[in-house]
Amino acid sequence: MLSLRNICKTFNMTGAKEDERVALDHINLDIEPGEFVTIIGGNGSGKSTTLNVVAGSITPDSGDILLNGESILKLKEYQRASYFGRVFQDPMMGTSGDMSVLENLEIAYRRGRVHSPFVWGFKKENKEDFIRELKRFDLGLEDRLNQKVGVMSGGQRQALTLLMATMRNKPTHKMVRRDYIKFSEKDKSLAAKEFDDVYEPAKKEYKEKCKVIKSDKNLTFEQKKQQIADIYDEFDKKVRQFDLTKQILLLDEHTAALDPKTAKKVLELTDKIVKENQMTTLMVTHNMKDALTYGNRLIMFNQGHIVLDVKGEEKKKLTVEDLLKKFDVQI
Amino acid sequence: MPYIVSVILNILTSGVPCILLALGIFITYRLLDFADLTAEGSFLVGGCLALSLIKLGVNPYLSTLVALIGGGLCGYLTSVFYTKLKIPKLLCGIITMTLATSLALIIMGFTRADEPFTNLVSLGIKDQTIYSVFYFGEKMYQPLIKTVIMVVIVFIVMVAIYYFFGTEYGMAIRATGLNERMGKAQGINTKRANITALVISNALIGLAGAMYCQDLRSVDVKTSTGFLVVGLASILIGEAIFGKRSFKNKLISISLGSILYFTIITVSIELGFPSELKNMLYAILIALALSIPLVQSAINTYKKKRKVEHYA
Repeated sequence: MLSLRNICKTFNMTGAKEDERVALDHINLDIEPGEFVTIIGGNGSGKSTTLNVVAGSITPDSGDILLNGESILKLKEYQRASYFGRVFQDPMMGTSGDMSVLENLEIAYRRGRVHSPFVWGFKKENKEDFIRELKRFDLGLEDRLNQKVGVMSGGQRQALTLLMATMRNKPTHKMVRRDYIKFSEKDKSLAAKEFDDVYEPAKKEYKEKCKVIKSDKNLTFEQKKQQIADIYDEFDKKVRQFDLTKQILLLDEHTAALDPKTAKKVLELTDKIVKENQMTTLMVTHNMKDALTYGNRLIMFNQGHIVLDVKGEEKKKLTVEDLLKKFDVQI
Repeated sequence: MPYIVSVILNILTSGVPCILLALGIFITYRLLDFADLTAEGSFLVGGCLALSLIKLGVNPYLSTLVALIGGGLCGYLTSVFYTKLKIPKLLCGIITMTLATSLALIIMGFTRADEPFTNLVSLGIKDQTIYSVFYFGEKMYQPLIKTVIMVVIVFIVMVAIYYFFGTEYGMAIRATGLNERMGKAQGINTKRANITALVISNALIGLAGAMYCQDLRSVDVKTSTGFLVVGLASILIGEAIFGKRSFKNKLISISLGSILYFTIITVSIELGFPSELKNMLYAILIALALSIPLVQSAINTYKKKRKVEHYA
């Protein structure tokens, strides 16, 4: 769960009162896991600032940001990247134009991980994964892995950024343990014990089973490989039940720079990815129709305040006219 | 030895160390998008450290290693100015470069007992360099041996650079240079990436300085003047003529560019161009190199036009 507590942010704090612009005024917001929130509001109402505060690009003047009950305010932008995937308004922003599709994907795959200076950056098995992912999203990029991203259209770049923001290597068991201790609401030593009580026997069991299979002379090499992979999956599942670091997707007007047809395609792709992975998502948009069509919660900002917050059934009943009325009243 | 061979060896002994210089500048200028003026400073510091240590009786290879580290420290200083003190990129390099001139005086001062600072160190006949360690046989083969040693060192360094920028961290550095915002969003510590790239770049330039000055067997404060231009010109000429399709291609292009640059300079001077006016030659070369893409596109449009006319 992502919570904002009393977040305030004022720009142009030069001393002169008339220059100051309040972007966020005591914002309180709780976002449940799995929610797809669309955020609308006029220019300068604070919607993009909210996203930037969450991601760490902007430091708030006061208030706190909690992720699963733990404050992440002190984490730097790059450290928060392991919890947030981001897509920007500018298609040039999210990808590196002079690098190939493959290189961009490799970097995204290691988001929030250590980049080792001793490990070769291209892996064969990753490449197969990427091709499978790209095929699934039907972007026509799977044959163009070695092409530079710079020569692609804005829509393709934005779709690629979206894929990069949502695709990530599974956290290692060590990371699962770390985040479980950090984010579970239990006592720290208790959480560690709970994890170890499951993890250690499971690991032992896995190793013993492996030994048995390896010493079995009746099996071919391929069969052995298959069986060990199956056992590993079983072991992995046991560890994954502790995985609390669900990714949160931050979309900052990511279709604003695209033509209507491409924008629609990218939005549908977004919806598909979010639904498939059950990702918690915050989407800022200027298009009220999109804000109503997609997502299961809608928030409207005005001058640094949240003026509308509807969920579920209530949101389904909303129409563009209702929203416009609300807009008129504010202005 | 025939005249032509001696000219070629002459070109190679200046050109090959400058490949490292060009690669160092390439890392900051192209990969990191950081116009790093530290280059001349670290080149000078590298040269001074190597020669001063050799003069004091240290093993030449060890001295060259220290020169490499010294260059790297210059780069670290620049990166501290940039990341910690938030000074604009261009000024960071200028500060270090200015500082390096005085540093060189202090370093060279250690070779003299009577004065604290001096602006010239030249090796005696007995002082060994990384090249003279391997001088066997007749004197006429010495330039050849020297060139071979240079090529071997540069080749090893190039392979190391190619490997490093293909690793996970090298890739992260490249991404940071191209798009810092994306780097941060993808969880890359962009500050550290900047520092690492600057240190590597200037370490290479320091090594280049050490190799170049050991070839000359002397160094003074003015030795490094103009080498930033040499490195930039090598990159521009190389990329314009030999292409920049992939990372490997870029590395090779720059190396060939550096050699080509020295070929043009040496040949012009051999043909009678007054060597006092070298700087004019440098300027003309860079202007030409920068205009190559324009000429290429003009040729392409002309070819297309011809084709259309042919079919019409």
